[in-house]
Amino acid sequence: MIKKRRQFLVWSSILGVSPYLSAKSMGTYEKAFKKIEPTIAAVQEHMFPKGSKLPSAKVMNVTQFLFETMMHKSFDKDIKAFVLEGAKELEKREKGRFASMTPQEKEIALRAYEETNYGRSWLSRIMTLTMEGMFSDPIYGSNINEVGWKAINAYGGSPRPKTRYIEL
Amino acid sequence: MKYDVVIIGSGASGGAVAYTLCQAGYKVAVLEKGRLIKREEFSKDELAYCRRDLVTPDLFDEYHTIEEKVDGEWIATPTYESGWSFWNGNIVGGSSNLMSGMLHRLHPDDFRLKSKYGEIEGANVVDWPISYEELEPYYTLTEELVGISGKVDKHPFEPPRSTADFAQPPTKENAVVELFDKSCQALDITPLVTPRAVLSKDKPGRDACYYSNRCGSYGCSSGAKGSSREALLKPALATGNLTLQSNTYVKSLHTDKKDEVSHAIVVDTVTGKEKKIKGKIFVVAAQAHESARLLLNSANAHHPEGLGNSSGELGKNLIFSGGGSGQGELHKDALKHIKFEELMTTGLFVNRSILDWYFIDHWWDGRFKGGSVEFMFEHQNIISRARKNGYEDGKLVWGKDLGERLIPRFTEQKSIRFEVFNDWLPNDNCFVALDPTHKDRFGMPVGKLRIQGHPQDVKVGRYIAKKCEEVLREMGAKNIYSAISSTPPQNLVAGGCRFGNDPKTSVLNKYCRAHDVKNLFVADASFMPTGGSVAYTWTIYANAFRVADYIVESLKKLS
Repeated sequence: MIKKRRQFLVWSSILGVSPYLSAKSMGTYEKAFKKIEPTIAAVQEHMFPKGSKLPSAKVMNVTQFLFETMMHKSFDKDIKAFVLEGAKELEKREKGRFASMTPQEKEIALRAYEETNYGRSWLSRIMTLTMEGMFSDPIYGSNINEVGWKAINAYGGSPRPKTRYIEL
Repeated sequence: MKYDVVIIGSGASGGAVAYTLCQAGYKVAVLEKGRLIKREEFSKDELAYCRRDLVTPDLFDEYHTIEEKVDGEWIATPTYESGWSFWNGNIVGGSSNLMSGMLHRLHPDDFRLKSKYGEIEGANVVDWPISYEELEPYYTLTEELVGISGKVDKHPFEPPRSTADFAQPPTKENAVVELFDKSCQALDITPLVTPRAVLSKDKPGRDACYYSNRCGSYGCSSGAKGSSREALLKPALATGNLTLQSNTYVKSLHTDKKDEVSHAIVVDTVTGKEKKIKGKIFVVAAQAHESARLLLNSANAHHPEGLGNSSGELGKNLIFSGGGSGQGELHKDALKHIKFEELMTTGLFVNRSILDWYFIDHWWDGRFKGGSVEFMFEHQNIISRARKNGYEDGKLVWGKDLGERLIPRFTEQKSIRFEVFNDWLPNDNCFVALDPTHKDRFGMPVGKLRIQGHPQDVKVGRYIAKKCEEVLREMGAKNIYSAISSTPPQNLVAGGCRFGNDPKTSVLNKYCRAHDVKNLFVADASFMPTGGSVAYTWTIYANAFRVADYIVESLKKLS
């Protein structure tokens, strides 16, 4: 049976948060993102911590990548809203404390969030967006000096892109 | 301006028709919905080409509805809901830019499946109105013009050919073929070199493959890949007879007289401006379901059920490809016959296929039509491989564990994969119609695809996949699995305007001209009443060259 990628939208409406779907201006989304950015960055940093064999989220600018790629016109507008809503939901569950938790507390909070369908779907989306930055061409601002590629000894083919998103 | 021929779509079939007509001196317009990306503009940008809809439409603008049976009822889901795009490369040259190019000719028996194997209950199998012999010269022409490299091996199920061997030798191969060939021989299976639409040697205007490690899903930067754009549209443009209009979406075809199309109504996708394009002959080549959709959307007082639909067959008997895929991991510490460094060498092809199970005639298993198998490495995209390997017991792996997991998976093993192609039997529950409510951004009803497969397809696919798993086991692969299902591969699609001699049961005649409309042709894979058990592209090219020759003859008679 067809999987409905957008089933989370149903959950979104249950949560009663979907103002970004109707938000037309870039500014509105950007403002909302800035508010929740520390939470998203904290999740990415928990997924890709310092001292791992993979580059850390912090060094790789993955939060900036995540924001920029979502702002490109090719990005699915529903997923864009979902990224914000899922982060807000996480903070709601953790009473606004998530970003300032210890790594152990974060692990417990995220694994608990993962037990819910909504949380699993959101964490999976954040992982995807983070890996997209970490392992795509450095032109997108992450994978700096190809450190992501070097870590796993895998390289993209040639020629490399000269512009982002095939803007000719 | 009235063109001699107006072609809708610039992919494999549109390119073949344009090439032939332009070479013959006729004025041709090719209308392509997508934009032009030139050879020097392509790159191996995984994010752009494989993870965003940049070479296919945004699904909120243009989409399909997909109909599946849920609790006994047909339920249509728009693809913007599911994210399951049925577009395959909407740029100049179409999806031929992005193919892997592993091609085979059909077998002579694919043209007479019904005569050979009889009726199958629940399937609409019919013989073709032409034979392999009629198409053979065009398979050969495709080999030369498009540039298919390969090597002829004797095999009972290899179709006969009029030339001794391929003009181009096979592309360079990874050492894994040594392991593969030995494993096949141990199992008494005949490994064959896959013909590939990639040049191993330079050809005028096109350079040989440079083994970039990213071929399928990407455009080619040397011109080695036999895309419609490189192989056909460029030389067609060089004649001065081709007007290539990209960013041009065709809404409908207009008929003034009952049996003749007078013009196409098109929209500039950038400015939104509408205009008419006039021609003597119209050739629809928009890919199977879109060609049928365009004819359905062209209904008028003379043709209330759609253009060329007096049979009621328009959109019916849409086919995909049966089968599926499987893979296994070759590990550094358990590798036989070859060195691990050789296995890890990037860029080189596997170029192997098996045709041993194309027809099955076995004392125990029975006598039935089987299929073909291609072997290849798992796609070398990095993001998708990293993402796929980031789970354990259904949970996301993150933190230090993620590095511990990913690094050995990228550096101490390589996955080998097989793809099974077997007939997708045409049946009453696989077709394209117009969706009654959904419209695309140009205001035209979208195609509603009902996509049910026949149970036989899965049975055959599983039969072959089991045999392939044995090959992987013999190769020493670990964690072998295969996934055969009735889910259609959206990039392997044909049918919907089947050809035949009887206007009551077919949309097109044997030259792929509409029975009802004398200046209307459908040149893409829509014509196929049955699909055979190989990828469609070579047959699409070949048949389009055949149709084009017929159009040239028709135009000569007109003047």
